[in-house]
Order: sequence, then structure tokens, then C-alpha cells
Amino acid sequence: MHTPLIRTLLLALPLLAMGCHTFEINTAPGLVALDDQEHYEYRAIAPEGVVVGVKVVDIGQKGDLAFWARATTLRIRQLEGYAMLGADDVKTSDGTVGRELRFGHDEGGKPYLYTLRVFVKHKGWPSKSSRLFLVETGGPKDEVARYQQALDWMQSSLALD
Amino acid sequence: MMRRVAIGVVLMMCASALGCGAAPEYAKSAGAAAPSQPMAEMAPGAPPPSPPVSGSGGGGGGQSDRDGDGIPDKSDRLAANDVAAAKVVPDSPHSAAMLVYTASLGMAVYQVEPGLDGVQKVARDMGGYLSSRQDTSITVRVPRDRFDDAVARIEKLGDVTHRDIKAQDVTDEFVDIQARLKNAYNIRDKLADLLSRAAVKEALDIERELGRVTEEIERMEGRLKLLRDQIAFSTITVNFTALAAQTVHDTTLLAPFPWLQELGLGMLLDVH
Repeated sequence: MHTPLIRTLLLALPLLAMGCHTFEINTAPGLVALDDQEHYEYRAIAPEGVVVGVKVVDIGQKGDLAFWARATTLRIRQLEGYAMLGADDVKTSDGTVGRELRFGHDEGGKPYLYTLRVFVKHKGWPSKSSRLFLVETGGPKDEVARYQQALDWMQSSLALD
Repeated sequence: MMRRVAIGVVLMMCASALGCGAAPEYAKSAGAAAPSQPMAEMAPGAPPPSPPVSGSGGGGGGQSDRDGDGIPDKSDRLAANDVAAAKVVPDSPHSAAMLVYTASLGMAVYQVEPGLDGVQKVARDMGGYLSSRQDTSITVRVPRDRFDDAVARIEKLGDVTHRDIKAQDVTDEFVDIQARLKNAYNIRDKLADLLSRAAVKEALDIERELGRVTEEIERMEGRLKLLRDQIAFSTITVNFTALAAQTVHDTTLLAPFPWLQELGLGMLLDVH
């Protein structure tokens, strides 16, 4: 009698869990995580204006890492005043391969750095969909350089579910 | 006394001959051969007219007036008619009739200016000329024997939304005017002859009538000239309508993915 209901609940639980918890990232000392961020699932800020943000987008079955890395590259290039400084393959702590894109940007004569890491992670059985993870870091160039170790540590702590 | 009666009779004849549209019998018989006369201007290779109207032949403009009475000499008129008649070229199925071809086209294009230029070029290539050009419309004149080709070429310049092609037969009008003109020449010659022999009092009446006849002749000559031009050069008017420019979005914007537009330092550093 209760077997079908229990079975349904058991199937739904992992899905519910995935919906509210899709990644983990540690906040480095010197930065604080902000609550209730409108456009970000996670955002941390340093007093000097260095910011780390994580966005998660449900992409269904649309595109792979190459597609989204290219799309985001083109999009950033469309924004006026961004110059691509480099791109590299990167990995999260759980082994998900991604792409890092580095850009320079001048704002009011002041140089800024902007880094975007792109990851595509399948949601896992029984779903056929994937999620796109966008990890952005940025701030004034000098400050980013000062926080580089902390930023690298945060990036390396990222784990995707 | 007899002379006054004769003058009166001539003046009455003038009035009746010019007043009514019907041509005398001799004029009608003369006009039977007339349809072919304006074809002289339709012959291939005829030089383009100087705009806005052109034509040659029976008009008074090129006639000499050796005796200085303001009347073209009879020999010149005849010579002009003879030359025109000698140029008859029955080269098309329409040769029997004098047809005025006009085409009015409506075309939809994305860019009006190149369309206008295109029509003008077609006219030039065909030996025609520009008649008028506005912001979105153009009127050109092309030799009658190139009319079909010109319309076909112009229609390729855009999407034809409206087409109105007419062939107006002006044979009757042409023959009628020609006959009345010939009649008017005769009357003018007679009046001029009378004037040279009239007394002062009679001369006033004759001069008045002569002026009226001359005015009538000029009007008819002008009309004939216009008809000749309209027959020799077909008129093509094209009205262009600019199609609403379709906005082509930059596909690199990846509009279906609005979150892409939230990338960048602007959003990242906007902490609140």
C-alpha cells in the first residue's frame, strides 16, 4: 500500500537535494560571503573590492563546455573595453574539467582584472540535463594580485555536485 | 463693295473652319496617309530629344520665314512634311496605329536610392532619358521600340507590387489635328494675301482674325509635337516603396540566454 509512495519519496529526495545544493566553495580568509544575492548563488567580497561570484544555470541538454566557453568568450568580448589576456583548462576539486578565461579591463583609467571559469556538469541519473557553473572573480588589478593566493585557494576548493 | 463681301466670306470661312473639329474632305483624305508620318520619329537610331519634350517634323519651330510676315513659308512646310513622310518605317505590328505607351510600376525594395539609380541607368542604356526624379519615384522616357525591354529590366530591380501598362491609340486625334492644321495654314495664307491688299479699316479685322488663326495653329502644332514625342518615347514611371528594414540581431548576443548579459565586472562588482 505504502510502497509506491515510499518509492516516490526516495526518488524525489536526491532531486530535491540537488536543487538546493549544487556546489561547494570555501570562502578564503579576508573575504566574506554575502547573503541573499540576487544574480548569484554565491558571492564573496574583500574590503578592497575583490569579488568572487558563482552562478549556476540549468542548461538542460544544450551545449557542452566548448560551446559555453566560446559563447561566454564572445559575450565578454562584446562588452566594450575588455581585452582577453589568456585562457586555460582548469579543474575543480571533484575533477570536473572547465575553462578559465582571463580579461583585462580599464575603468576610469584604472586597470581591472576579470576571470571567468566555465564548467558544465551533468546532473546525474536519472536526469539528462546539465548545469553550467560560472565562477567569476574580479576587481582592481593591484588588489586582485594581492588576493591572488586567496582566490586560487577558493577556486581550488570548488566542488560541483 | 464686292471686295468687302469677299473678305467677309473669307473671315466667316475661317471662323467656321477652325471652330469645328471636323476636317474638310480634302483634309481627311490627306490625313489618310498621316498615321505613318510620326513613325519617322520612331525609327531606330533617332536621336534622343532634348527634355522635357521633343520631336521634329511639322512643328513651326524649324521653319523659315523668308518674307518676314511671321508665317512659315509654304515651301518649308511642304518640305518638312515630305521629309517626315519619307522617313516612314513600318517596323512593328503597331505601325498602323499611333500608340502612346505608358507604364506605371509600383515596386518594393529595401533601398530606394539604388532602385532610382537602376531605373535611370536602364533608361540611359536604352537611349532614353530622365524625365523627373523625386525621393521615391522616378519617370523616364525610352524609345518606343525599347519599351518592352526597358520595362522587363526595370521589373528586375525589385518586387513588383503594381503594374499598369497602357497603349493609348492617338491616331484619330493626330489625324484630326493634322487636317485642321493644314486647313489653318491655308486660311492663314489667304488672310495674309488679303491683308496685303486690304484697306486700313478692313486690315484691322483681317489682322485680328490672322492673330486668332495663328494662335490656333501654334496650339495645334504644340499638340502635334507633344503627340509625336509621346509616340516616339514611351513614359515609364516607377514608384518605390521601401520595405521595412528587418532588424537582424547579432547572433553572438545569444539572446535566448539572457544570463550571458549578466557577465562581467559591472554586475560582479555591483555589491549591495
